[in-house]
Amino acid sequence: MNRVGTHFFVATVLFFALPSIAMPNDQVPGAPQTSPILIRGAVLHPVDSPVIVRGTILLEEGRITAIGKHIESPKGALIIGAKGKHIYPGLIESYTDLGLREISAVDVTVDRSELGTRNPNVRSWVAVNPDSELIPVARAGGVLLAHVTPGGRFVQGQSAFMQMDGWTEKEMTLLAPSGLCVNWDAMQPREKDSTKQAQQRDEKWQEFDEWVEHAKRESLRQADAADSISSDLRLEALMKVIRRDVPLVVSANRQSSIEAAVAYAASHKLRLIIYGGYDAQACAELLKHHDVPVLIAGTYRLPLRRDDPYDSAYTLPERLRRAGVRFAIGGEAPGYPGGASNVRNLPYHAACAVAYGLPREHAVRSITLSPAEILGVADRVGSLSVGKDATLIVADGDILEPQTNVTAAWIQGRKVDLSSRHTMLFEKYKQKYQSGN
Amino acid sequence: MKPTLWFAVAWITGFAIPGSAIQIVHAQRSTITQQSTTTRPIVGLRKADPSPVLLVGADVVCDPDSPSKPASILMHGATIVAVGNNIQVPAGTETRTLSGKRIYPGLIDAMHDVELPENLPTDKTGYWNKNVSPEFRAAWATTSNENERKKLHSQGITAQLRAPKDGIIKGASCVVLALTPDHPQYLLQRDVFQHLALTVPRGKRRDTYPNSPMGAVALVRQAFYDAIWYDKANRVYQNNQTVPRPRPNLSLEELSQTLHSGTFVVDAPNERFAIRAGNLADEFSIDMILRGSGFEYCELPAITRQGHLVLLPVDFPDTPDTTTLESIRETPLREWLHWYFAPENPARLHREGVRFCLTTDGLDDTSSFLKHVRIAVDRGLDSRVALAALTTVPAELLGVEKRTGKIQPGMMANLVVADGDLFAKETTVTETWVAGERFEIEKEKPLADDPLIGSWKVTLPGSKQRISAVLVFEKKDDKTTGSIRCTKSQSTDEDPNAQQREEKPEETRVELKNNVRQREKLSTSVQLSKLSDAFPEGVSQLTLLIVSNVDHSKESPLVLATLTTPDGKSQSVPIRRVKRQDKPEQEVSPTPTAKETSDSNVESSERKPIEMVYPLGAYGLAQRPTKPNAVLFRGATVWTSGPKAKIDDADVLVIDGKIAEVGKKLVAPKKCVTIDARGKHLTPGLIDCHSHIATDGGINESGQAITSEVRIADFIDNSDISIYRQLAGGVTASNILHGSANPIGGQNQVIKMRWGGSMEDLKFADAPAGIKFALGENVKRSSGRYPNTRMGVEQIIRDQFLAARQYDADHKAWQDGARDRLPPRRNLQLDALVEIQTGDRWIHCHSYRQDEILATLDVLEEFNIRIGTLQHILEGYKVADRMASHGAMASTFADWWAYKFEVYDAIPYNGVLMHDAGVVVSYNSDDAELGRHLNAEAGKAIKYGGVPEQDALAFVTLNPAKQLRIDDHVGSIEVGKDADLAVWSGPPLSPTSRCEQTWIDGQKYFDLKTDRMLRARDKSLRARLVQLALETDNQPKSDKTKDEEEVKEADRWERIDVYCNAGRSQGESR
Repeated sequence: MNRVGTHFFVATVLFFALPSIAMPNDQVPGAPQTSPILIRGAVLHPVDSPVIVRGTILLEEGRITAIGKHIESPKGALIIGAKGKHIYPGLIESYTDLGLREISAVDVTVDRSELGTRNPNVRSWVAVNPDSELIPVARAGGVLLAHVTPGGRFVQGQSAFMQMDGWTEKEMTLLAPSGLCVNWDAMQPREKDSTKQAQQRDEKWQEFDEWVEHAKRESLRQADAADSISSDLRLEALMKVIRRDVPLVVSANRQSSIEAAVAYAASHKLRLIIYGGYDAQACAELLKHHDVPVLIAGTYRLPLRRDDPYDSAYTLPERLRRAGVRFAIGGEAPGYPGGASNVRNLPYHAACAVAYGLPREHAVRSITLSPAEILGVADRVGSLSVGKDATLIVADGDILEPQTNVTAAWIQGRKVDLSSRHTMLFEKYKQKYQSGN
Repeated sequence: MKPTLWFAVAWITGFAIPGSAIQIVHAQRSTITQQSTTTRPIVGLRKADPSPVLLVGADVVCDPDSPSKPASILMHGATIVAVGNNIQVPAGTETRTLSGKRIYPGLIDAMHDVELPENLPTDKTGYWNKNVSPEFRAAWATTSNENERKKLHSQGITAQLRAPKDGIIKGASCVVLALTPDHPQYLLQRDVFQHLALTVPRGKRRDTYPNSPMGAVALVRQAFYDAIWYDKANRVYQNNQTVPRPRPNLSLEELSQTLHSGTFVVDAPNERFAIRAGNLADEFSIDMILRGSGFEYCELPAITRQGHLVLLPVDFPDTPDTTTLESIRETPLREWLHWYFAPENPARLHREGVRFCLTTDGLDDTSSFLKHVRIAVDRGLDSRVALAALTTVPAELLGVEKRTGKIQPGMMANLVVADGDLFAKETTVTETWVAGERFEIEKEKPLADDPLIGSWKVTLPGSKQRISAVLVFEKKDDKTTGSIRCTKSQSTDEDPNAQQREEKPEETRVELKNNVRQREKLSTSVQLSKLSDAFPEGVSQLTLLIVSNVDHSKESPLVLATLTTPDGKSQSVPIRRVKRQDKPEQEVSPTPTAKETSDSNVESSERKPIEMVYPLGAYGLAQRPTKPNAVLFRGATVWTSGPKAKIDDADVLVIDGKIAEVGKKLVAPKKCVTIDARGKHLTPGLIDCHSHIATDGGINESGQAITSEVRIADFIDNSDISIYRQLAGGVTASNILHGSANPIGGQNQVIKMRWGGSMEDLKFADAPAGIKFALGENVKRSSGRYPNTRMGVEQIIRDQFLAARQYDADHKAWQDGARDRLPPRRNLQLDALVEIQTGDRWIHCHSYRQDEILATLDVLEEFNIRIGTLQHILEGYKVADRMASHGAMASTFADWWAYKFEVYDAIPYNGVLMHDAGVVVSYNSDDAELGRHLNAEAGKAIKYGGVPEQDALAFVTLNPAKQLRIDDHVGSIEVGKDADLAVWSGPPLSPTSRCEQTWIDGQKYFDLKTDRMLRARDKSLRARLVQLALETDNQPKSDKTKDEEEVKEADRWERIDVYCNAGRSQGESR
């Protein structure tokens, strides 16, 4: 379609945009927890254990130290009454470019995709802008944790599991790298002739294989020479995956892509996570056999094919649950227009799955504990259990329902500022009408 | 043909052909002379005229209505002189015997497009837009393609309509004979039709107007009005030369003549375009012929009703790829069904009485034309109808019925000679006559029937004695290869048994090398010494000359063999065919026809009818939903969006498509369908005030800053799967808007999701007209096009309103009798802007920033215009008071922001702030996916700022109805309104609820049970079609790779507003 004038467009926008994007948001990161916090009277959703009605939870030194019906209040504790409120673990967006993208249409504000097709060495977290206006907006929706992923055409780069508050990206990072992101579509040629397609695919596979073998040789060479200096950042990065330190996070929706990715990972003994997973049910046995989990790329998605059931994306979580495939539900995929800017809608992607069959408790698990398990941070976050980080949200209702608002949140015991550009502009313009201007 | 004529000897005298005249006197006594057709002096000696030709021995089909009968045909020059038996033949006539052959009238191909030469001398007085060039002539294209002409001959095509390929109003076509362009008879008829496309020519730049199908149609319409005006203005000027003279314009002159008395051929690249073309013909009362697509069967009733003749292609689709499960799965059912139905298209059209010509249009390879026609015949098309569609029908249509189309004295000698029934699979065309010239058909595989194939006995001169040998010729890869083996029989014994006995132990064979096969000759070399010591060392050359009749199939040809031995001596060697005993070798080349026949039999026997569904493809309906007289929804929680608010455990009674009663414990009338809705929630059908689904016209006409003449209504796509998907989300009506590329964009169309209905059925008839405006980043991003700033946007809008004011005044003055001037021109762009000012057309204005909102409202108020809606309006919360005072309504997003700079200040509290300020607020989708859960979007109005739940629901029911000025009909569950309803599994504002049923006008368009049934049906349908495809894997495959294949018209255009999107790709939207 017509994209004439794009260059000019970008230039025009730049003119307006540059002064603004340099501005930090106004929310101040929470200070480290200094005294115990006891929250009482709320409905607790620990996720890994049954719901506790009118329960109490104790947070000390950034950790959950007690949870139950009746808990003694330690000395000096801040006691918060939360009657009628619901407490959940901080929600986890399992695949996003939050922090890497400010204004989608303004290229210079986007740091998602590096040039070229082979970028295993680039690392998402080093480009996350802690002052992004989008982050407080996501937090206000209850999303305190996010798997921040780079984009690109093929081997996209390393992702990180991050907390959505902190003065610097270092304070925000919980686990990095947490994965190496690969877009498997690049391995699926657009050729429609099946025979030719198969041939082209084999060629690409072969190329990838040669690259991986090269990485292995290179690491042997380096191990042999104690003082050797790395001469290839890409190969060096690839070794993290080959050594199984880091899983491959492969974007794959169609059955053939998913199958190919699993076959590849199995043949090289790599850890694998599928992102997207539209056709994952058709590969359920394979995924189960190799214990490959799926990060579902949002439920509010159109069917991939004209003939697919209208609700195929809506029913995917329940179909995977029934098939016994491990999964988490992500929000809207990175990109236009929602993505990073509407990470706050994550609970509604889970809610949609409920409308189409997924039991509610599984829906909540799919945006808390399940992604934590899949992304290797379940020892720290994902449920309300003793020993885990005090990363949780207080809501004034069922988190899956849109009338519910998050009223308080802590990340590792640090109080989270739930205001945002949105609430500030709301308050500002309320005054305009109240004062009758 | 009348039977009496059949045996009569008919002589035509003085039959006039422009450029040539034939005088025929009684042939027995007089000489027949031909007159020179050129003024060019003869150089050198004169040549004798060609002799008259008599074709004898064949059966003749004189015209489609006549049976095949033995007859002779006498031709002289370009003309048929006599047809029948006992023809008196003039002396010196060449007699050609065509025993076993059948002769048909030469076929006429009524559609073939040609590219006109580059750099035509463009007339300065042409139309302002280069796509309007009615003055162009296909006859200007004189490129001569020998290969293509041979293909035409091989298909029996003797005449062809040639039309200009590019452009929108493209120019005039002509009929030419299948001869070289310099042939005196080449141009048979000039200026036949004027050709139109209702879309943008392919392969052209996309930055000039028009760059969308919508724009193309608008341009055609405007050009028509301009031509009408031009004619009228000139008449006024003729009567009164004191008024300004209309600027001479060749295009308009040409066009006004065609409108007055000509015929248009309109390209209809799919079934929807066929109907659109018909509508255009009605709008301007023009004579129109469709250039069809092969999809006509998809909208057969409507196309039949419109009654236009169709120039029908036979480029049936290839069998979909069945090689992998993946490829099967990725091919939509729609394509499977089209593959199945397309060959039936001609037969189906004929059954409904639609007249058509069969054409080579769209075929990759013209030489597959008859093959495709035969497939159509095999799939139910009467062969006489097929013949008529290739002869008499096109002849009459093209105005050449007195010249060609039949075998009749006085007609041109255009003939097809075939070796059997033209429409039988095995038949081949052996020769084609065009204007009395004979074109023998070269076999596609000339050596397929090489008469040399087989075994030959030769007696070769050895060093000492003559040696018998057997030459064996085989066909390998379409080439004749040969080998020689020795029989060791040194006698010339002719007893075949003896030969066989002797042959067996001898296996030494020597290949013939360096074969050069000409039609009459084979030259080859062979090292005979390898065969036997009896031969001298060295390479011998063997030449075979075939001297018998070309028609070699029956008897073995007479072959003369010459051997040149290594010593350079040539001598002829005896050669004769070895009869009967070489069966295995004969079978080396299987006859391809046999295979085809057996396959087609399998095909026929397996073919059970597959039901047509509307629209074609998955989830299509065999029948439209029925409309019960009365429907009673029992026991639901009814969210009325009306004065009755929310009622628990309530009933809603629908009679005749309208809501008749809302209350508790209603009495069911007789013959009432009762829906048990206990535990369910019932809401008005949701209304999406901003959508781009169900249109294939390109969304954006971005070629100009002002495009108020383009209309979404021209391009409703009733086959868009999004319609069905919206229904599944409880949406019953949508406002289909033009994109945001221009300050003043195109006209919108409100639709109801009447899935399975026609394009017209989808339109919300009572919705008032509207138009899209747009401000800000999108409209100023086209560099080089005014405006480039918000400052300019405000000015151009103001300027246009003033222009419309002037335009209106001019028209009123003319109507009031002012005659001191030319009549005012009808300007569709300004018409729409006048309608805005008279309150007949509502503006839906894409807007984000508060400054542009205020500027626009100020301009509108200057012209006393109240805005229909502000769309997006993401900074509406900053100026809600100003909006309220204007009476502007706001159609916004629940929570979108940050996708571009002008929405960086967008906040989800926008809805509540505007709502509280008294602005009517709706939440829209602008997106095929978001539109499927507007209920959950409305729920966010509660979250952000606490809008009461029923007001929040009204954001997607009553409020959008108000904004579209259709709230008298829809938007709430109130007595008298349309029964557009959605049944929900739980509270409608929750994303954990799903839509279970959707009703429009009291008809059920979606429910879970039917959806499951459709899925099951589609699955089994697909399985059946895949089986069929696997069984018929010898279907013609086009030699194009998939990448080269032309994108279908409907897939050429975006289904989203790309000016709003920064490269979104999410699923298959169609």
